[in-house]
Amino acid sequence: MDVLTVSRIQFGSTAAFHILWPLMSIGLSLFMVVMEAMWLKTKDIKYFHQLKFWTKIFILTFAIGTASGIPLEFEFGTNWAKFSSAAGDFFGNILGFESTVAFALEAAFLGIFVFGWEKVSARVHFFANLMIFVGATLSAFWIMAANSWMQVPIGVTVENGKLIVTDYLVAIFNPDTMVSFLHMWVACIESTLFMMMGICALVLLSRKASHEVKDFFIQTFKYCLIIAIVVTPLQIGLGDLSGTTIAKYQPAKLAATELHWETNAPGTGADWALVAWPNATNDGNSFEIKIPKVLSVLTTHSLTGRVPGLNEFHPDDRPSLINDIIVFYSFRIMVAIGFILFLLMILGCWYWKKGLLTIERTAHDRLFWWLFVLGTPLGFIATEAGWMVREIGRQPWVVYHLLRTKNGLSSGLDANTVIATTGIFAIIYLAFSILFVYFVWKIVAKGPDFNARPPVV
Amino acid sequence: MMNFLSDPILALLWFGAVGLSVALYILLDGADLGLGILSLFPRKESERALMMHTMGPIWDANETWLVIAGGMLFGAFPTAYGIILSALYIPVMTMLFGLILRAASFEFHAFSVKKRFWSFLFGFGSLLAGVGQGLAVGGLLSGITIVNGEFAGSAFDFFTPLTVLLTIGVLMSYVFVGYAYLIKKTGAETSPGTYLRILITGAVTGVALLGATLLLPTRSYLFFTRWTEYPSNYLLYCITALMGALSLWLILLVFKRHTGPALHNLCLGIFICAMLGMLVGVFPYLIPPSMTIFEAASSRQTLLFMLVGLGPLFPIVLAYNFYLHKVFSRDEGEHKSRAQIYGE
Repeated sequence: MDVLTVSRIQFGSTAAFHILWPLMSIGLSLFMVVMEAMWLKTKDIKYFHQLKFWTKIFILTFAIGTASGIPLEFEFGTNWAKFSSAAGDFFGNILGFESTVAFALEAAFLGIFVFGWEKVSARVHFFANLMIFVGATLSAFWIMAANSWMQVPIGVTVENGKLIVTDYLVAIFNPDTMVSFLHMWVACIESTLFMMMGICALVLLSRKASHEVKDFFIQTFKYCLIIAIVVTPLQIGLGDLSGTTIAKYQPAKLAATELHWETNAPGTGADWALVAWPNATNDGNSFEIKIPKVLSVLTTHSLTGRVPGLNEFHPDDRPSLINDIIVFYSFRIMVAIGFILFLLMILGCWYWKKGLLTIERTAHDRLFWWLFVLGTPLGFIATEAGWMVREIGRQPWVVYHLLRTKNGLSSGLDANTVIATTGIFAIIYLAFSILFVYFVWKIVAKGPDFNARPPVV
Repeated sequence: MMNFLSDPILALLWFGAVGLSVALYILLDGADLGLGILSLFPRKESERALMMHTMGPIWDANETWLVIAGGMLFGAFPTAYGIILSALYIPVMTMLFGLILRAASFEFHAFSVKKRFWSFLFGFGSLLAGVGQGLAVGGLLSGITIVNGEFAGSAFDFFTPLTVLLTIGVLMSYVFVGYAYLIKKTGAETSPGTYLRILITGAVTGVALLGATLLLPTRSYLFFTRWTEYPSNYLLYCITALMGALSLWLILLVFKRHTGPALHNLCLGIFICAMLGMLVGVFPYLIPPSMTIFEAASSRQTLLFMLVGLGPLFPIVLAYNFYLHKVFSRDEGEHKSRAQIYGE
């Protein structure tokens, strides 16, 4: 394999692995903030137990998130030196903000949050908890600002092959940033909620767990469900907003996402392919099932809106055949999961309203709980699929229409070195994934510590 | 905007900020890495656990200084960032694998019953990270071939006799400061022979760094002139003399079997001298002897934006890190792991 392909595989796979953990760190830290606030407000010990229990899992996600995040920062230099040099004026700067402002905040306050129970006042402790959440959120914001600028690189001029910033605020708040940040941030919360609800469902299905333990997890389930009522429909709306932003600023990506080849004639609507497969010459579909006019409605919110087809763009300036296929199906997976999670939320609320969310009923409504168990990984799959669309759909550009991916690679890279390091990353990360599931399993099997008492400072 | 700051001054300010972050990283995380390497040796799990737990609340925050230094280097000197990291591919990846293993096994150790395995992996990760950092410093000082603003050498260029000596020096100095930190945190010799080992690791560090200093002029004439030309030679003489004095003081305290924080503080003093010496040796080069700080700097617009955005925040980051260290400086004798606190 050539060094460009292996470098892309290395960056893609290490980034895909890393994203799982901040996802859970953001989601869990939100839950922890809510629980600590409720505890401080009501002094009800049950919130304290919730906080203590879920913090254990948070510690694991944060550790793996830190461990897998540091390599990404350095990979920009090791494998993408020319990208760093050309785009560093903006991109490196924003990563500098991320590490100084956001990550440093999280890491320092994590120490106080975890170890400081008996050393700081309840208020300072809550503040530390809040700062972890704020730090994680800011971190997501800066990363999304940097990545969004790679999608819509405005506020810069090209000087001697380097992208020099002319207007920082324009570059940071490019039209993609806020939409993508919110879409990702809500994805973090939604994925974590359904992971937590999946864990709760698993415990509630267990025949061994005690009444007290089940009561604890049914509470968690209800808290998560309440947050999901807001989050799941919001995410569908943000997804729609994100789609129209892509249609406007990255029409070639949108066309690839839909395998849409020919621009619709004025006065007619573009059809939406439910399923499709491109032909070998990569200029049309060899197979497709279409629904009339839907693509125009989805992207322009009008029956006859113009949607440029892939054939409008030179083959060198749009994603390749294999990339087309990946983004087309990744997009469908993501959208399907968005709706499945929404329906699961509706189902959960309906059960709750009918008074069926009780420990006694868990013995009867096993299918209901199994559906939530199956929902555990869905948010993560949808997030990964969304990133596939975002990053592979941007190809062959690393900075859209300004810098090609192949021109961002380091010079003097040795393919075998890159393959070897990618292999080591893969082995370590695979082991981490298995160990994470194992340790979470152990933590859940052990259950919450109901004897834990809040410290008296 | 801000015309009183000329381009060279802006570049120097950012060089200072990156340098300060690197220095803080070495001063704070050096001891953590050293303790990690040390934790490979004791037979009793309780001793290993003690070493790991003394750094429990703070090592995450200490490691952030590396992330901050990386982020600032990327932002303020993007071309140099790309050249240095791609030239030092193998050292950097070695360090990263070490940091990954270390960070994750620290938490797995707390939750697992197979403590022996995870404390071993934690120690191994620390060792690997230290080796990677030594190789990286060695590779940088051995010289990087640059043509047309790109790295033009090969993957193993970093590996020179100088690099070997510097790697030994870096590892031994980490162990050295790790021992001193352990005595400071526990207030006693945790196992017999700690004082002797401080002397041995200190001596090996000294010999390795002395050897490296003698080898440096063989890599570049720049380093030769630093010892011969005014004013850098006088600065280097002063720094060397100060380092010698601090070392003698340290040896004296070791013979007195001192148990307070002075040992650790003296180690940090010696570290600061070594880093100042290196600064005098390379200034104003970012990649000696090919690329200066001024050649590598980002556009004026970027450096100003970073200064306005990050400048006011830097003291805040320093302040809450200081607070963190202060909160956990009073906890002698009750070293718990995260999992113990959470009832695992």
